[in-house]
Amino acid sequence: MNTRNTRKKLKPLPYILIFPTAAFVALFTAWPVLLSIYQSFFRQRMNNIRFREPTFIGLGNYVDLFTDPYFIKVIGNTLYYIIGTVPISIILGLLFALLVNRKVRGIGFFRLAFFHPMVLPMVSAATIWMFFFTPDYGLFNSALRFLGYGGPENWTGNPNMALLAVIIVAIWKNSGYYMIYYLAGLQNLPRSVYDAAALDGANGWQTLWLITFPLLRRTTIFITIVAFIDAFRTIDHIYVLTSGGPSRASAVLLFELWLQRFEYQDIGVSAAITVVFVIVLVAFTVTNFINSERKEA
Amino acid sequence: MKKKNTLLFLVSGLFIAAMLLAACQPAPVVEEAPAVEEEVEEVVVEEVVMEPVTFQVFYPVAVDAPIAAILNGYIEDFQAEYPYITVEPVFSGGYPDVQTAVQTTIDGGGEPPALTVLLATALYDLINADYIAPLDDYVAGMEDSEAYIADFLPAFMENSHYDGKLWSIPFQRSAVVMYYNADMFADAGLVSPTSWESWAEAAQALTTTDGDTTNWGLQFPSGWPYWLFQPLAIGAGQNILKDDCAVVFDDPAVIEAVQFYMDLSAVYGAMPAGVQAVWGTATTDFASGMTAMIVHSSGSLTGILEQADFEVGVMPIPGKEEGTYASVPGGGNFYIMKGAPQEKQDAAWKFVEFLSRPGYVADYSINTGYVAARASAYDAETMKTYAADIPQALDTRDALQFAGTELSIQNLGQVRGIFHDYLQRAYSGDMTAAEAMAAAQSEAEAAMADYCE
Repeated sequence: MNTRNTRKKLKPLPYILIFPTAAFVALFTAWPVLLSIYQSFFRQRMNNIRFREPTFIGLGNYVDLFTDPYFIKVIGNTLYYIIGTVPISIILGLLFALLVNRKVRGIGFFRLAFFHPMVLPMVSAATIWMFFFTPDYGLFNSALRFLGYGGPENWTGNPNMALLAVIIVAIWKNSGYYMIYYLAGLQNLPRSVYDAAALDGANGWQTLWLITFPLLRRTTIFITIVAFIDAFRTIDHIYVLTSGGPSRASAVLLFELWLQRFEYQDIGVSAAITVVFVIVLVAFTVTNFINSERKEA
Repeated sequence: MKKKNTLLFLVSGLFIAAMLLAACQPAPVVEEAPAVEEEVEEVVVEEVVMEPVTFQVFYPVAVDAPIAAILNGYIEDFQAEYPYITVEPVFSGGYPDVQTAVQTTIDGGGEPPALTVLLATALYDLINADYIAPLDDYVAGMEDSEAYIADFLPAFMENSHYDGKLWSIPFQRSAVVMYYNADMFADAGLVSPTSWESWAEAAQALTTTDGDTTNWGLQFPSGWPYWLFQPLAIGAGQNILKDDCAVVFDDPAVIEAVQFYMDLSAVYGAMPAGVQAVWGTATTDFASGMTAMIVHSSGSLTGILEQADFEVGVMPIPGKEEGTYASVPGGGNFYIMKGAPQEKQDAAWKFVEFLSRPGYVADYSINTGYVAARASAYDAETMKTYAADIPQALDTRDALQFAGTELSIQNLGQVRGIFHDYLQRAYSGDMTAAEAMAAAQSEAEAAMADYCE
């Protein structure tokens, strides 16, 4: 009797409290995902009279996607992009955080210098970078020439370099952002551990490797998830710098999704890409989460 | 049970009361009816004093001009003339953004804006999706319908007709032109090119090296290449499309045009090699005197003239044979959206008609740098004064007499993507011109199969 009463009293409150968030998630995340899963089994193209109304084709869209050399190329580009941006921006973020986590005069200026790319809107930042990448006299080529390199590099026009160019911009943009998380993490580390290490005679490298890094593990896991998702969802600079070209050399998954939905008006295929997208992101996030919880326990 | 009965009683009572009231009404109605029949004129007056109507126009800003302020001025003039119409302009980004906004509104079950400014080439996508309404009845209702249509520059009407119907009215239009530094030409004893050969030779002669930097004779952007490429194909004797279901990417003349682009750098050394992702910097390079010639949009004229301290020449793209030239139109048209209520569509047409008056067409051209879409606009006093000051404005119009149709076909986005892909593979040296165009042709045909059987 007693237990039943307590249960009855406690039951509604948590639900009421999470209701606004749950409703929001259901409406703007769960429902669109379910709709995409449903739509991905249909053939529907808005710019074709014959396929304007959806026709059920089972897994047809998925078969089309994974037998399309373009899509395979896009997957390859996306992997390259993730491998190119995620580890380097995280390492740089940590380095910057270690650099600016000191009591030096004017440290605010350096923190600002590292962080400011995050504040700039991606489109304006990419427009500025376009000038850095200009063939011949662009800043990048001038710097290369200063270092003794001769040829006029065609950064965004060369199919072998376009993806590298957008990776450079992404690293520049994101590492300052990750620095902030690391900085917050660093400043929350307990002083006493360092004092103890100093007493034990640990040198700087040992302190960093054996104390700071392990203590920052949770921050690192969090940043890895954020960076991974960032790598999937930022395409503004690709749109500005290369339009996914030349010859689709810099087209990544989300860019391809935009193309299919709005340029090709292919609702079925774009829904299938969305599903692939969601599966990859959920799988990554869940694995990462389970991993971190397991180690914690 | 009792409650239900009371409710039933109440509702039926209300019905009876309503019927009784209705039965009492007829007398005044009968009295009024003859009065209306007698005064036919009054009916006409009532039509003029129309129900207020408000419609939206979604428009893009694709050039460096204060489009919003200019349009607001026109809307004020229009509303003064049609007090019952209110126009709500909605700035919606670039062309793709406007089209996306319209698509998502319609797909989401909303009411689309009555009027949109979208790319002229979007025609088939818009018709297939059943988004737009034909304009023939509106034009037929005009006093001078034939003259009205005939007055638009023919090149700008190329993408307006389909299936025997008229679907769009040219609004903010441009053309591919070549800008050349006339002072440099004069200093080198050159005249403006008249063929591929003289063009390539001039570009070669005007390419100079200054320390580490090369001042190119020619810059020819190819980051999003079909548009600027089309004049090369047309100049070689074959445009890349024949109709909405037929592209001819693998035609020998088209392949020759691709080869010529590559030769400009490989053989003549007059242009940077590979894909030139320089749309944004080409105009500045030209205006600062670093580059002798650029192929670009007529829309860049105003910006170039503001910066350049030399005589700027504007001409169509030289063709392969001596004395031949080519160009291709670009830019956006007015479309009336089918999903909007009829009275809003009607009001939108009034606005289109209003903005196609020569005075406004001329004014829009002068203030934005777009090519005036109607021949009569060039007779407007404002345009004459402007052209006396800036004669190049007439050169952009004249280039259009050599224009072919801009790439507008079934399944445009995908086919254009395929063409871009292979054209750039050729430019980058990954494939020969012939291989690339053959591959583009077969992929494009496959992509159009579902549309054109």
